[in-house]
Amino acid sequence: MIKTVTFFNRLVRVFRHNEWHSTQYIMAGGSRVRIISFIFLLLFSLTSTLRAEQDTTSVTAALKKLSMEELMNIEVTSVSKTPQKLTEVASAIQVITNDDIEQSGATRLPEALRLAPNLEVAQVNSHDWAISARGFNAAPLNGSTLADKLLVMIDGRTIYTPLFGGVFWDVQNVLLEDVDRIEVVSGPGGTLWGDNAVNGVINVISKSADQTQGLYASASAGSFLQDHAAVRYGGQLAPNLFYRVYGQFFDQTNTLLHDTSNRDNWNMVQGGFRVDYFATEKNSLTVQGDLYWGLENTPTNLIVNGQNILGRWTHRFSDSSDLRVQAYFDHTYRNYSHIAFDDDLKTYDLDAQHQFSLFKRNHIVWGAGFRLMDDSVRNSPSLVLRDSHLDLILLSAFLQDQITLVRNWLELTLGTKLSSNHYTGFEIQPSARLAFTPNIHNTIWAAVSRAVHTPSRIDADQVFPSMNILNTNLVSEKVIAYELGYRVEPFKRMAISVAGYYNTYTDLRSIDIDAQSPSGVIFENNQRAQTWGVELSVNYWIFDWWHLRGGYNYLSKQFESTSSSVLSGSAVFEGIDPKNQAMLQSVFKLPKGIQFEAVGRYTDSLPASILTPYVPHYFSLDLRLAWTYKKFEFFVVGKDLLSSSHREFGAEQIPRSIYGGITCRL
Amino acid sequence: MQTLIRSLNHQIDNTVKYILLLLIFVCPGTSWPQVNPVPSSEVKAVFLFNFANFVDWPSTSLLSPGEPFIIGVLGENPFGSYLEKSVLNEKKDGHPLVIKYFSNIEEAKNCRILFINLQSPEQLHHTLMAIKGLNILTVSDAPEFAKSGGMIRFFIVNNKVRFQVNMEAVKDANLVISSKMLRLAEVLNSEGP
Repeated sequence: MIKTVTFFNRLVRVFRHNEWHSTQYIMAGGSRVRIISFIFLLLFSLTSTLRAEQDTTSVTAALKKLSMEELMNIEVTSVSKTPQKLTEVASAIQVITNDDIEQSGATRLPEALRLAPNLEVAQVNSHDWAISARGFNAAPLNGSTLADKLLVMIDGRTIYTPLFGGVFWDVQNVLLEDVDRIEVVSGPGGTLWGDNAVNGVINVISKSADQTQGLYASASAGSFLQDHAAVRYGGQLAPNLFYRVYGQFFDQTNTLLHDTSNRDNWNMVQGGFRVDYFATEKNSLTVQGDLYWGLENTPTNLIVNGQNILGRWTHRFSDSSDLRVQAYFDHTYRNYSHIAFDDDLKTYDLDAQHQFSLFKRNHIVWGAGFRLMDDSVRNSPSLVLRDSHLDLILLSAFLQDQITLVRNWLELTLGTKLSSNHYTGFEIQPSARLAFTPNIHNTIWAAVSRAVHTPSRIDADQVFPSMNILNTNLVSEKVIAYELGYRVEPFKRMAISVAGYYNTYTDLRSIDIDAQSPSGVIFENNQRAQTWGVELSVNYWIFDWWHLRGGYNYLSKQFESTSSSVLSGSAVFEGIDPKNQAMLQSVFKLPKGIQFEAVGRYTDSLPASILTPYVPHYFSLDLRLAWTYKKFEFFVVGKDLLSSSHREFGAEQIPRSIYGGITCRL
Repeated sequence: MQTLIRSLNHQIDNTVKYILLLLIFVCPGTSWPQVNPVPSSEVKAVFLFNFANFVDWPSTSLLSPGEPFIIGVLGENPFGSYLEKSVLNEKKDGHPLVIKYFSNIEEAKNCRILFINLQSPEQLHHTLMAIKGLNILTVSDAPEFAKSGGMIRFFIVNNKVRFQVNMEAVKDANLVISSKMLRLAEVLNSEGP
């Protein structure tokens, strides 16, 4: 293991040097190398110019075939466009498109996230999910899991509960029809994205209201997902003012537990709206909101409800400069009747971001944000937080400079985030990213970043049952991440991405034996870990009618305690992860409006933890058959078809299931 | 800095060089099959071509047989070769569509459609005055173009190309824009002063 890590380190160095040298091919002068490389360069630029010529002729020809009305719907970029976000150039980003989601038969956001090869997604029971990237899918707790190293945003709104520092996946039921894409970045996104983006960032981006005009209605029924209905209508109020409203509900039945019916069925009703006002060329305004209400058995009632509203104003100064100001309010309420615990969280957030180009070679993005989380809990006999009401304030600012070292060849991005939080005060999260693009089909990138995970309320405020002496000395968990990636189009219609990483974590949460605590244990920061892994993903459009996308992940991790008081089992408590996992999605578009899709997955076994049993490795297969007739689509979906039931994270068994339905788009 | 670069240059390891070249050669590739946004200038070029078909020029200014229908660009050319591509082998009422570039408005008076790539209000005013009364459809990106007497102005909303039409200026030039095209445009107050 250590040997491999050293090798990996060396590899990182070699590649970094490689990139440095490559600049010299054009910058330095006088040697034979320079002349040879200049010739190569000339050849490449020539071939790419020729290719570009062909491409534009066909694009222009295609555009000419469109009506003017259709032309007005073509998405355009300005020639002097904003430089590509470095998070896209030099990071392990995977994008799930609206088509990918629809073709997979996913009905809810966590199911859609299974399509990102760089995520670990496990269904815990009927309503709960454990989702993480690059390990650290932590033990389940009270209707969720302690997985806390992922930052998730829906249209710029951070979905974060300070209760345990993670996400309540059961209540994030965006209408998938209106999702434009989901960007999944594995690896620290510390610089722009803020705290807790230790192992990754998920960014759910919905379509603007002008892209969702008209009626969408869908209804389905089945064995596990018993019923699901969704309606959306989009309209235009004025030439530049668009809106949409939607509503949906679903009922999902029980999983199995020891081969008999569990009691974790649930249902949810949700509605919302979005308004986009393109006031002038330079100013646009978005207002959107959602509200939901649900009832879950866990095994007694858990009542959830929430509301959120967000406003965003964007002002464009020029093609490469804009200012974005955003404010939102989010209310999340959960009433756990089985343990008599309530959590009522109100989040108020205001942030601004400004980007501009400087001296031709620099592109600066900077911003600042304020967040107030007003959290009230009703303490229960089994879970007591010291402050039943707490105002958590988070102040943050960031600055990033994307520097073009050699145009169209080598880009360096330096950035840092500064923040101040309730528990650990000031935190700094810098990163450096280098992207080397020898031609448009090859990108090699490397990054070194530092990110932190700040303690959650359960870590730092919990006085019972784990402790009556509160550990007020908890510090942030830190990671230093080294990443190296390569993206290539080896031939037409195929795109491959490989990313490798080596992460060192310090001050990880540990469960320590403490004689003074009534339960005998207390949370400390007495663990360290090293992880390394490889993420591979492939997109292959074999024919116009056959698309394959898939991926493979390997993860290796090694925990180490820094104190003899650390409870054995503390390591597995923090990371219940498969060593290997793979997925493959195949989409056939057949004649007469018929589509046939399959998603296969393999997940390695999970070790037993203090709270969960050993989970054997499993294969699963989902199939979807759909027929489009005029404005209607009829579909039937079989999920987890390979066995009558299987376990993914805990003791609960996810049953094989089937559902079918009809969708209408007018 | 130069010394640093030079010293780094000397360190180039043959193996690394080889790997680098191999990478570039083994991976010729082609473009992503995904739909990428199109440059706005390309879409605008196709719009200009479309305008030729959706606007009627007065019968008093008929072109003689074989005479080309000229689409001109005044000022720096923002279209690259998109305009040439969009009018390739195209005709309007039997007249071949031809693209010409001008730096002086006096030379541009034979145009049927003129894209004016000038930004300052003074230059715009001067240019529009110089061709006042001629049957030229004037088009531009300039923010105050339609308001300063130009006919059609492109603008971008939510990454999509839109256009504004100044009806008064169009009527003054004796041009007729088809209702189909007008429905898609943002029409400036045609009552006017």
